[in-house]
Amino acid sequence: MSLSSRMVVVLTAVGLLSGGFLASVGILTKDRIALNRKMEIERAIVSVVPGSVASETLYEEKDFIVYGGKNEAGALKGFAIYTSGIGFQDKIILMIGVDASLSRLFSLIVLDQKETPGLGAKITDRTSFLVYWEDKDFTQSFRLRKPPAPALESLSASEVNTITGATISSEAVLNIVNAAQEKARALYEEGRLSFGGAHAE
Amino acid sequence: MPSRTAGQDFLKGLWQENPIFRQMLGMCPTLAITNAVINGIAMGLATAFVLIFSSLLISLIKKVIPNQVRIACYIVVIATFVTIADRFLAAFFPPISKSLGPFVPLIVVNCIILGRAEAFASKNSPGRSVIDALGMSAGFIMALLILSSIREVLGSGTFLGYRILGDWFEPWVIMVLPPGAFITLGILMAISLQIERKKGER
Amino acid sequence: MELVTLFIGAILINNFVLHYFLGICPFLGVSKKIDAALSMGVAVTFVMSITAVVSWAINHWILIPFGLDYLQIVSFILVIASLVQLVEMFIRKTSPPLYQAMGIYLPLITTNCAIMGLALLSALKNYDFAEAVVFGVGSGFGFTLAITLMAAIREQLELADVPKPFRGAAIALIIAGIMALAFFGFSGMIK
Repeated sequence: MSLSSRMVVVLTAVGLLSGGFLASVGILTKDRIALNRKMEIERAIVSVVPGSVASETLYEEKDFIVYGGKNEAGALKGFAIYTSGIGFQDKIILMIGVDASLSRLFSLIVLDQKETPGLGAKITDRTSFLVYWEDKDFTQSFRLRKPPAPALESLSASEVNTITGATISSEAVLNIVNAAQEKARALYEEGRLSFGGAHAE
Repeated sequence: MPSRTAGQDFLKGLWQENPIFRQMLGMCPTLAITNAVINGIAMGLATAFVLIFSSLLISLIKKVIPNQVRIACYIVVIATFVTIADRFLAAFFPPISKSLGPFVPLIVVNCIILGRAEAFASKNSPGRSVIDALGMSAGFIMALLILSSIREVLGSGTFLGYRILGDWFEPWVIMVLPPGAFITLGILMAISLQIERKKGER
Repeated sequence: MELVTLFIGAILINNFVLHYFLGICPFLGVSKKIDAALSMGVAVTFVMSITAVVSWAINHWILIPFGLDYLQIVSFILVIASLVQLVEMFIRKTSPPLYQAMGIYLPLITTNCAIMGLALLSALKNYDFAEAVVFGVGSGFGFTLAITLMAAIREQLELADVPKPFRGAAIALIIAGIMALAFFGFSGMIK
């Protein structure tokens, strides 16, 4: 066999073997990986919409998804909004839990962030930051309280504290929530967030 | 060709030909993921997997591959094992896969692997190639452990996620950030060079 | 406006070398002289820009539609290796003086994690075509900036009295650390 044909044969063989091997690995792991992703989202939805055990995708576009959280009976307990925006360092991804009439914000969690460890990264911590976002008023825009209120109770239902030394990351979360609020309200009023199952309350 | 014993082939990867401190290969992942010990361990094991199996396979097929296409073939072999490692981590250890980010796929351009394939696996028996790969992996993991231990303890006050320095310690956040990585590795390199010089003087 | 922020971000804030730790080998190896550094930077930017386009095309026209994302790593690295070969042959034929200036760096670029890193990050962040191109060119500029600055500092360092164990890689790393610290100040520049 001449050198060039040998080169072609070897390259093709290596390529085909590699491709075949990878195809089997790909198929074996594909479902598991998709399931991991789905479970992560599901866990987030269930934690921000109290009383929900399952979800349904109601509206989807790039980087903005609205899920409906439903209980065992299939009734809508609230919406979970998956949204993102730019933080201090990179993208911050949030899951915001609101009630079925978009009037109350139950809580929110940070799904992904790359902020400064020890400072901006505190936005994932409940006692340092997320507690300010519990049980708030979703009917109007949120504002930052500067300087931060000393007691949690002295914050109004539309105000949140910033993290000392991480104002930009705190503000980023606020801007993401406000933008999501406007968008969700617009979709709701257009009737785009219709839920198939029974409505609660 | 090698007049070294198997034991020497293994041990050289730990110090004299340590991939990071001596050969200065594989610096990118070393700096990027050593902000926590668990990441260092995971990356070290993933790289070891790719290095060992690639060296083995390349050594087994070295006679069949024409010289002109050897680099392309090595790359395909290495990329295949890297994909396996990456998919495995994503499927069974999602949080680690997320923290390591694109650096697992980047193992494919980790100069250690192609370097060993060229320098050793293509010229030695499969058995010796595996031993060489084991030695290099051990050296690599050791370097990762040293660097990530320093960075995690000083930068977050934790080790493997467990708080080991009390509340009195204010973490040096810079250690888990890029500047800390560069400076720490620089100092470690200087120390290892100094140790080598002292040994040479004796 | 988004594309402009992406471009500036790629150069200053998420600098490939100082923030993502990609391209360290050439960053330390080819940064002793300013003209060598600049040539390497130009070569890298050139390959990065083409890679950005080609890897985007492969990802969005072949891999994703056919559910072949497990072939991403293999296809990207093969594309990069071939691209570098082609670019080298092209430059050698069309412009020998240019080949003299930067051709020798091209084979090194294949294992430059910056190129592969670019392809992977672009795919990871799900950029559309325009964003991928801007990201590719911007990252190349960022790399060139970092490596040229390093070369400028190291040329000055030749005249300084560096302690023996630190000479070479160690002092380069420490300088990189200080540069990274300086670049950190750019964070938060874009809202």
